[in-house]
Amino acid sequence: MKKECIAMLLAGGQGSRLYALTSRAAKPIMPFGGKYRIIDFPLSNCANSGIDVVGVLTQYQPLQLNSYIGSGQPWDLDVQRGGVYILPPYQIAGAKGEWFSGTANAIYQNMGFVDMWEPEYVLILSGDHIYKMDYSDMLEQHKSHDADCSIAVIQVPLEDASRFGIMGTDENGFICKFTEKPKTPESDLASMGIYIFKWKKLKKYLIEDEKDLLSEKDFGKNIIPAMLKNGEKLWAYAFEGYWRDVGTIDSLWESNIDMLSPSLIDLYDRTWPIRSRSPIKPPHYIGEKSEIHHSIITEGCDIRGKISNSILSNGVTVGEDAIVNYSILMPGCKIGNGAHIEYSIIGENVKIGEKAIIGTPPNGQSEIKITTCGPDSIIEANSHIEAGTIIYAKKENK
Amino acid sequence: MPDLHGIVYAYHSHPALGELVTQRTGASLPFCSRYRLIDFALSSMANAGVRDVGVIMQRDYQSLLDHLGSGKDWDLSQLSGGLSLLPPFGMHDSDLGEYKGCMEALSSVRSYIRNIKQNHVVLFRGDLAVNIDLKEVFDAHLTSGCEITAICTEKSFCNSGTRIRFVPDTPITSKRMLFPGSDHRKALSSLEVYIIRKPLLLELIDWCRANGKFHFHRDALAHYLKCGGKIGLYIHKGYTAHICSVSDYFNANMDMLKYSCRRDLFPDDNPVYTRGRSSVSTYYGENASATNSLVADGCYIEGELMNCVLFRGVRVKKGAKLKNCVIMQDTVIGENTELSYVISDKYVVFSDNLVLSGSNALPITVPKGKTV
Repeated sequence: MKKECIAMLLAGGQGSRLYALTSRAAKPIMPFGGKYRIIDFPLSNCANSGIDVVGVLTQYQPLQLNSYIGSGQPWDLDVQRGGVYILPPYQIAGAKGEWFSGTANAIYQNMGFVDMWEPEYVLILSGDHIYKMDYSDMLEQHKSHDADCSIAVIQVPLEDASRFGIMGTDENGFICKFTEKPKTPESDLASMGIYIFKWKKLKKYLIEDEKDLLSEKDFGKNIIPAMLKNGEKLWAYAFEGYWRDVGTIDSLWESNIDMLSPSLIDLYDRTWPIRSRSPIKPPHYIGEKSEIHHSIITEGCDIRGKISNSILSNGVTVGEDAIVNYSILMPGCKIGNGAHIEYSIIGENVKIGEKAIIGTPPNGQSEIKITTCGPDSIIEANSHIEAGTIIYAKKENK
Repeated sequence: MPDLHGIVYAYHSHPALGELVTQRTGASLPFCSRYRLIDFALSSMANAGVRDVGVIMQRDYQSLLDHLGSGKDWDLSQLSGGLSLLPPFGMHDSDLGEYKGCMEALSSVRSYIRNIKQNHVVLFRGDLAVNIDLKEVFDAHLTSGCEITAICTEKSFCNSGTRIRFVPDTPITSKRMLFPGSDHRKALSSLEVYIIRKPLLLELIDWCRANGKFHFHRDALAHYLKCGGKIGLYIHKGYTAHICSVSDYFNANMDMLKYSCRRDLFPDDNPVYTRGRSSVSTYYGENASATNSLVADGCYIEGELMNCVLFRGVRVKKGAKLKNCVIMQDTVIGENTELSYVISDKYVVFSDNLVLSGSNALPITVPKGKTV
């Protein structure tokens, strides 16, 4: 079946900089913003942009991700002429099966899948960014500039630029320079890790890159520089709006807290809905003595304590006299009576005992230190967890 | 899979529900922030593994059809079996007035019932808020050997409706039915949910047809008992509300603010399914406050809530104060508006600086789509 453009979503990374939080499941499935999982953003963007074939490349801890995506129905991607496909590494006939060794290699190993759709263009996405973007607009620009590759770019503060892949553009807006994490950035245009390629062109580069034993098989490090070197046309698609990479504990916490400012990213906008697979839960209940201040709360929660500036996913219970401030509470976690949680990320199904103290607010000028409790961990009553600690669940709970 | 087929009555709306049912039937009345009453019948069936369900409807069923869709939210959209919608079949000799009683409604779908492949049928009212473990009831029904089992409660559960009651002979069977008004200490109130053997149901339908009778209790069951029949009794312990009037509706919603009632209706192992609406979590603004309230997803709250039930997508603007209110989907409450004892239907817009208060006995109902 022929499609003009299909999307390949890279969702296999471990997310090792999230430590305990990704000990049980891959990063794209991380709960986010109350109702969501991170992968809901690219999947919803695809559906809203009219892209109805999405290959999801999985590798690390894929079980939860597989069952979350299911038939793709929550995103309207369960269609007859397309759909969402989970693509794990597999054994090719007559060859030894291999893990995906890099982002480019993951696509290389699934060239057969892409060819099934005979697409002109392939959109490469990653499963760890929070943003709303119309890919069809990017595709239009890609086509009108007859580019071989388009890279979505966003302006970042110059002092942060050394954390990103930085683009230099010529007077016509084509990319003439690309440096991965430069020490002294020459521009403030950062790559968002979103690419559209002419499929024939990309295929050629993937095959060549595969032969290079020294290559890391990575889009940013290998494919893009090689294309640049060969003088291919690389268009910089300028994106304006909210975009965050949530690869670290600090950025995950910050981006969640950003959801409390609808002026940054409006999730209540019904013209570009971000959809998710929701569990079956009754409405949330706010108790007689509870106080709710500037927070996001999801179905199935039962709140008896005080919540401020926090994000609560579904099925969270907060006991009486408990205080939750500037924290992210993931699905199913239970906060005991009188517990006090400050500046923390509490993973799925964590149990926090009565009067336990988790984290502390930043003191004056001091840096914010986020405390994290990995999924399924248990915090004893009356315990005191210092700011910045990372708690892992005990092994036997696995 | 149990040898049980479901039939839900969704053809009738109590007139005392007033403006709440001008554009819908009682079964599609929104309830407890995100449900419709029919969800309880369908979920009780789905949780018991019932895979074939017919819904009898007659009029004002547009909102019901919209809610049910293909039935997939209750796992009732499958290749074998699933949901059957049973609107009136306008035959040339049929009388197009409202069904005079339950037996007439069943009679109108007699050919559907004849073709049911299961041997037992559960007849369920669509306007009950109840979570019944039908698997357990069905087991009890089979064990008792009775041809018909009535689900009853020891509690009184409905203020404005009148109840049929059964006097038990043994703890689990009854040969005596009491009509409203008669008095008996030991009698159990019927939820008007029955499991009945299919051949008996067809027999009763035919008997009523032949004798010009229309009512389930007064005619069919009375005839069955008179002929020496025995009714099995199953006592349901959990919360039950039969919503027949505006005040029933209001009280049942307020009951949901009690933990014990919620636990009865929404146990973790028998969830209540409803039509999905993918919405965002609820946002509480800087000056928002909420106590003793139930709130669905997708709301945007900048004002104050106390003892309220809010449905999906409600917006409460700055300075607004809501006390003892039931606010349905996508209603907007303007700035500094104060509401108490108000039931707002869907898509209502309350302008700024309004004060509107009803009372516990007489809550104010604002019809769908009104601007106040």
